[in-house]
Amino acid sequence: MTLTASRPAVRPVPVPRVRTRRRERFACGVLMTPFFVLLVTVFLIPVGTAVWLSFFSADEPGLGFGPESTVFVGLRSYAAVLGDPTFLSGLGTVVLYCLLYLPLMVVGALGLALLLDSGVARLRAWAQLALFLPHAVPGIIAAIIWLYLYTPGISPVVDLLGKADITVNFLGVHAVLPAIVNIALWSNLGYNMVIFYAALQAVPREVLEAAVIDGAGPVRTALRIKTPLIRASVVMVALFTLIWALQLFTEPMLLSQSTPMISARFSPSMYIYDAAFTRNNYGLAASASVILLLCTIALSYGVTRWTNRSRAA
Amino acid sequence: MPARPSRRSVLAASLAFPLAGALNACSVDGSAPSAAGPARLTFWSALRGSQQVVDAFNRSQNRIQVVFQQIPSGDQGGYAKLSNAARAGNAPDVATIEYPQVPGYAIDGVARDITDLVSDRLRAKLLPQALRLTTFAGRVFTVPLDVEPIVLHYRTDLFDQYGLDVPRTWDEFAATARLVRDRAPGRRLALFPTDGALQFAVFAWQAGARWFDTTGGAWNVSLADAPTRRVADYWQGLIEENLVYANASLSRQNDAQIAQGLVLARLSGAWDAGAQMKARPAQKGKWAIAPLPQWDPARPVVGTHGGSTFAVTKDCRNPEAAMEFIEWQVAHPDALRARLSSGTSSQYPAAPALVDVGRAAFDRAYYVGQDIYRLFETEAAKIRDGWIWGPRMSATQRVLQDGFARAGGGQGSLLDAVRAAEAGTMPDLTALGLATTEHSS
Repeated sequence: MTLTASRPAVRPVPVPRVRTRRRERFACGVLMTPFFVLLVTVFLIPVGTAVWLSFFSADEPGLGFGPESTVFVGLRSYAAVLGDPTFLSGLGTVVLYCLLYLPLMVVGALGLALLLDSGVARLRAWAQLALFLPHAVPGIIAAIIWLYLYTPGISPVVDLLGKADITVNFLGVHAVLPAIVNIALWSNLGYNMVIFYAALQAVPREVLEAAVIDGAGPVRTALRIKTPLIRASVVMVALFTLIWALQLFTEPMLLSQSTPMISARFSPSMYIYDAAFTRNNYGLAASASVILLLCTIALSYGVTRWTNRSRAA
Repeated sequence: MPARPSRRSVLAASLAFPLAGALNACSVDGSAPSAAGPARLTFWSALRGSQQVVDAFNRSQNRIQVVFQQIPSGDQGGYAKLSNAARAGNAPDVATIEYPQVPGYAIDGVARDITDLVSDRLRAKLLPQALRLTTFAGRVFTVPLDVEPIVLHYRTDLFDQYGLDVPRTWDEFAATARLVRDRAPGRRLALFPTDGALQFAVFAWQAGARWFDTTGGAWNVSLADAPTRRVADYWQGLIEENLVYANASLSRQNDAQIAQGLVLARLSGAWDAGAQMKARPAQKGKWAIAPLPQWDPARPVVGTHGGSTFAVTKDCRNPEAAMEFIEWQVAHPDALRARLSSGTSSQYPAAPALVDVGRAAFDRAYYVGQDIYRLFETEAAKIRDGWIWGPRMSATQRVLQDGFARAGGGQGSLLDAVRAAEAGTMPDLTALGLATTEHSS
């Protein structure tokens, strides 16, 4: 993007080619520097530190009461993390969460976008605003709002359901994961819907007119014509949602204050936090972070590969 | 002793925490002894009555000036605060650490090895069982302030009303629990606290369990040993027979259970006598305290539930002055008087010579004149030797409580929770590079 932007497209004055190229390089450097500075300071250095921390440890031999010395420990921390049933159950939880959340999110957002696009919904602008607004609420605030709505005794929702003789404990053993999925859906549905809606605006009108002439109804047009045409957006949203979901942290962290059903090691991110700040075990936290990073990269790669292949087929 | 914080105070503390951290980041300085003025020490504690103790110490001499900072109790952020400060190199000179966390802070190097600073005079003043809980591999890491033998707090009025005798053995306890359920539906004898991993540990300790053991220069871990299995099965039985409540103790639900007399007894450390006075003044005159039920009444033993110790941290630049302050706090009569003057503490001192001071200073009105300090004294003598806490007790405790919460909700058993806690503890210890062995009996 920066390259095309910096190219003097409509400048008629001929400049010597070497100078142009040098200027281009200079502009390129100036425009890209902030990105690389940020990439290095907030991504590469922390990742490098985590990798380093995961291979070294301040060890004291035996019982651990002697003087410390930093030694290379190889894969010891990784073996400990992978042998920790609490970490594995956290991974299981997050997989279950993704299986619940991802389809609901993509199908929900796509459905809403198609509805708005087809003009069925009146007051389109208002509907868009109402759906998008929750995304403007920071995740932590959203979790607090929902915590209030979930907590028996203070929640008007639980109260109303109770009056209708329905007892639901949103923070109970079985309902707690759906409760977290609900918070995430509420926060992000509108945002992804806007992405789909924008993509739908780019669908050529001639194609839709052709479909109508061929006798396709609105449902058929939506599912068979529009959806395949915005496939790239669907893949992108699915990918971002997956990456976001794997890092599940804020909602369960806040809810854990109110329900014992969310343990301190509920998700991999919470495990990492607990390892670093409750257990003061930085090697363990670092190697769990690296494992989570590798899982995320592998899954993202898998998703893109799979979608590319099925597109080629 | 861990105060029982209300939900609101917990929330307030957690909200205030970042602010407090920022404030004292600016004020932690000047721990260096200066030739001109008195030595300055910073002291962190969550214990009730600490301000009064520090004031009394500062008045008593003019060589050492202690600056006290109230911090949240350990689980509510106090320990995280201490660990983070130590990592940043600005830990307070003197910190308060409860017994279960002592080995962890010793391993992390936050609590200094003070073996050579503990004088024989101080050593002689302290209860040996208490000092053994803070001594590892022959080195002393913290100085015990109090020991809190676990006791049975019970409602005298309700025991009379339902014609119950105070149970002396665990069999009698179960029988009494059955009577309560039959005679007073809706009430229960006691609560199995699903957030009470330490209470459960003390029950196991009493039964003869040794969760951690350091013979052979390694941490030998056996959470699910035979005595623990016995205790787990016993309480599992009580829960399944619906003889006790199984919910969290730090909850509004439990507040209501105690306030409305739905539970007739509480099983907790001596400190809880003072906490009860503060939390429920209206129940004055309705409670008495008895020894904990025993497995074998011929050889009575107990464990300690709660109790704090003082550490000189690695960042302290004047360890001698810090030690002088600690010694005064744990062994001087004025220190205990000052703490009890706050009116909310029933701390049982680790220095037996202070028991009479405590007895005289404690207001007995709430317990209708019962001499609870004499009871604590007999109970403290029964503390079973040989128990030590593990290197990552806060974490072990959490995993255990997660399992208890599930067991309380009908998923899995208490024994499953114990086994899960062991499985969740071992990776921690190996990742720290400690020598470990694991046993299941």
